[in-house]
Amino acid sequence: MIQEDKFMLVEEKIQYVLNFTLNGEEISIAVHPSRRLVDIIRTDLDLTGTKISCEIGRCGACMVLIDGIPHNSCLTMAYQCEGKEIESIEGIGKNKLDPIQQCFLEEGAFQCGYCTPGMIVSLKGLLNQNKSPNYDEIEQSLAGNLCRCTGYGGINRVIKRLSK
Amino acid sequence: MLLDQDSAGDKWRIRPDGKEKVTGKLRYLTDMTFPNMLYGRVLRSDYPHARIISIDTLKAKALEGVVSVITHEDIPGLNGFGISNPDQPVFCFDFVRYEGDAIAAVAATTPEIAEEALHLIEVEYDKLPIIDSAEKALLPTAPKLHSNGNILHETDYCRGNTEAVLGKCVCVIEETYETPRQMHTYLETEGGIFVPEKDGRLTVYAPTQHGYKDRMQLGRILGVPDERIRVISSPIGGSFGGKDELNVQPYGALLSLSCGKPVKIHYSRWESVKAGLKRHPMKITMKTGVDANGKVLAHEVTILSDTGAYSTLGGPVLNFATEHAIGPYQIPNVVVKGKAVFTNNGVSGEFRGFGGNQVIFALEGQIDRLAEKLHIDPWELRRRNLRNLNDLGPLGQRVYPTNGAFEVWEAIQRSPLWEKSKQDLESSDRWIQRGIGFSMAMHGSGLGFGIPDPAGGILRLNNKGKIEVAFGHEEFGQGLLGTLEILLLDHFNCEKEDIHIVIGDTDLVPPSGSSTASRTTNMVWQALNRLKPQFLSALYEKVENETGVNRKDLKTGSGGIWTYKNGKKVRVMTYGEVAKLGIEDLEFSTKFHYPVTPDPVMGGHYLYTCTSVAAEVEVNVLTGTVKVVAIDHTVAAGPVINPMGYLGQIEGGSIMALGFTLSEDAVMESSEYITLNLDTYVIPTILDVPRSQSVDAIEKLPDGDPFGPRGVGEVGSVALAPAIVAAVKNATGTWITKLPINKEKLICDLPYLNNEKKVGITHDSGR
Repeated sequence: MIQEDKFMLVEEKIQYVLNFTLNGEEISIAVHPSRRLVDIIRTDLDLTGTKISCEIGRCGACMVLIDGIPHNSCLTMAYQCEGKEIESIEGIGKNKLDPIQQCFLEEGAFQCGYCTPGMIVSLKGLLNQNKSPNYDEIEQSLAGNLCRCTGYGGINRVIKRLSK
Repeated sequence: MLLDQDSAGDKWRIRPDGKEKVTGKLRYLTDMTFPNMLYGRVLRSDYPHARIISIDTLKAKALEGVVSVITHEDIPGLNGFGISNPDQPVFCFDFVRYEGDAIAAVAATTPEIAEEALHLIEVEYDKLPIIDSAEKALLPTAPKLHSNGNILHETDYCRGNTEAVLGKCVCVIEETYETPRQMHTYLETEGGIFVPEKDGRLTVYAPTQHGYKDRMQLGRILGVPDERIRVISSPIGGSFGGKDELNVQPYGALLSLSCGKPVKIHYSRWESVKAGLKRHPMKITMKTGVDANGKVLAHEVTILSDTGAYSTLGGPVLNFATEHAIGPYQIPNVVVKGKAVFTNNGVSGEFRGFGGNQVIFALEGQIDRLAEKLHIDPWELRRRNLRNLNDLGPLGQRVYPTNGAFEVWEAIQRSPLWEKSKQDLESSDRWIQRGIGFSMAMHGSGLGFGIPDPAGGILRLNNKGKIEVAFGHEEFGQGLLGTLEILLLDHFNCEKEDIHIVIGDTDLVPPSGSSTASRTTNMVWQALNRLKPQFLSALYEKVENETGVNRKDLKTGSGGIWTYKNGKKVRVMTYGEVAKLGIEDLEFSTKFHYPVTPDPVMGGHYLYTCTSVAAEVEVNVLTGTVKVVAIDHTVAAGPVINPMGYLGQIEGGSIMALGFTLSEDAVMESSEYITLNLDTYVIPTILDVPRSQSVDAIEKLPDGDPFGPRGVGEVGSVALAPAIVAAVKNATGTWITKLPINKEKLICDLPYLNNEKKVGITHDSGR
């Protein structure tokens, strides 16, 4: 038991310099290789649009794009991000609202808004890969994003528009 | 009116807080940080019931990076909280009564050190027998969890003579219904940041549904006057009643004061499950009798409610359940007896629907079963028993006249599901059976008779030349800001740039009561109606004095105050120009009380909304899976102020009820949660819900109604469960009595498994 603790303490001190791009900006940051991406983004870089809720990859509130593909940042460790292009909600619609964001606004697709960045990131990830997805495909892309407020009413209205 | 973007016209508005939410720029209170901030953690009990022998914090205090470790000895004021009864210890010292009980709290320089420090706190316990069900709490041998025993609250309502009448009824249904320990599951777990200010005050940034109530409770714990505390409580990542009670606040406040530094606490989901409130699990037995014409003559109800270890609002929730167990039906002989009891289970408390959801599931189930027995259409049976415009309320109290029950009864028949329900539902899949069910409910708003339910607001021209309102209400997603914007633009015919809305900060807003009980829309609507004439009169007087234009010819509008000159509309002054003349005489406030029944019936409501719901299901008889494929709602709640908000409340409340019916249960074994996160506590995903729900809003109110729009925050969540259950019955022939619907039990109960009446499906089919 004592030995295990010592081992843990040594490991805690391991730091390496992680290099990746976040929303187009090159980031170089000394972190433990197993630090969660969500903590790097939210705590170390103070970008709080990426949310934290279940921390087991079930709710999708922490969704980010890694090389264009949606990932739960609570299940992603620092070393897995080496050299990757990462996009968080802050990178979407930076200069002008993305059409997905505009749809969310117009259709009432959020209430408290806490799940919204993750939802938008998931949709962005789908549209990166598939320019004209059908309803089923869009719906499927949101299967890992939980919303407790809307009952998905407004989100379904968004899907209807995006699948047209 | 079927609510959608088209029917709403220009009232369908993008929310004022929308852009910040879709871009991720909005800082929720749990996103905030402060320089030199410490991280707080709370030590929870190891056992659901035990005597504490000793608490030793020395080792934790000695850990490098730990700044403070506090226990019950460090509370300057009251070691207790609870909105209706402060019987929940901030820190336990003699007994622990549930696994979420707090024993100590730590502030440290990193979350990791705080976590490690928790492991270094040594608590010695003497384990005690647990009470893990409401029934066990009532056994004579049960340990007493509180000095007054295990009964928090009892209700006993009686009229007529049920016993005598039930004996004469042609048909009596007796059934027991059980409902789950539903979790609010706000996506933002409880959290906040607590900042000691230079002037000795404390600023609390933590979500709540009633900032002033939190301030009062915190003042009591800290032993300081309320004014020394500032509570900033919006925006909020969802609440649904769950953040109405204190959660992180006592710990954050005490830690920050003991360290003299900002302290942040943000519960993990696991801690939120363990320590947070749930919906009261209830066991409801109803015995209901009718005559040959389908007139309900007698209705006996017993309710057993598991309130968990502490009170919070367990008493008022039981009062609400007692009232709503009678519903919109006129029944001459009624007995309702309720008990809310303490157990060692998780604390149950306030949750959207407030005890109504449970009893409405039971009551509507009774009506449907009676109709089946009598071979009367269940909707027709309802009509024969419905209340009329001027009838008394469920507990015999005077209520404001409402014909909502009849209106929603009628309106749901315009749903396409109504026609469809009259036809045979074909299924292309041999394993899928389809059914449609209907239900209805009336739901009281406001806190009810005997409970202070104050309201108030401020309307002013601010020094920046904006028409400003201040309310002590909160934005937890429901759309308060949007509702206020729509109301203000409507009243003053101005632009959104001309207004400013202040909420959620006790230093800046007046007391307005809670943002609960479907009361807020109604309260702000009434407040603005009271404030507007005084404000406009003072504003126009000021403009007249300055410009000489007769006040009668002035109107507020875009950017300022306008008049007509030679048939042409001209702006006389901008709001900014008026503000420069001085704003002291342009501020008005109002205080009033939520409308209350004149009859002294504890908790009885005066204003009611009504709803009816149609639900279509597909039951997979191979797997027991119930999929709800269509839901239509009608809601009679007066004028729709904010169509997007209204629709969102009904859609969202409805899907919360879908989860209550099909999948959600915070399961406890031996008083310990075994569903610790969202992998096992299953809320609906987008794949589990219908792609659209229609909401027919009935806006008509009785002539001369002075109260205007009723709130709809809860009513969408109260009546879906019995509609789904009726649909499952129509699909499979099986009545459900326990929620959430258990798939295995549903399959085992299928009638054809027992009597093979159904053709086409036998045990070996599908091979």
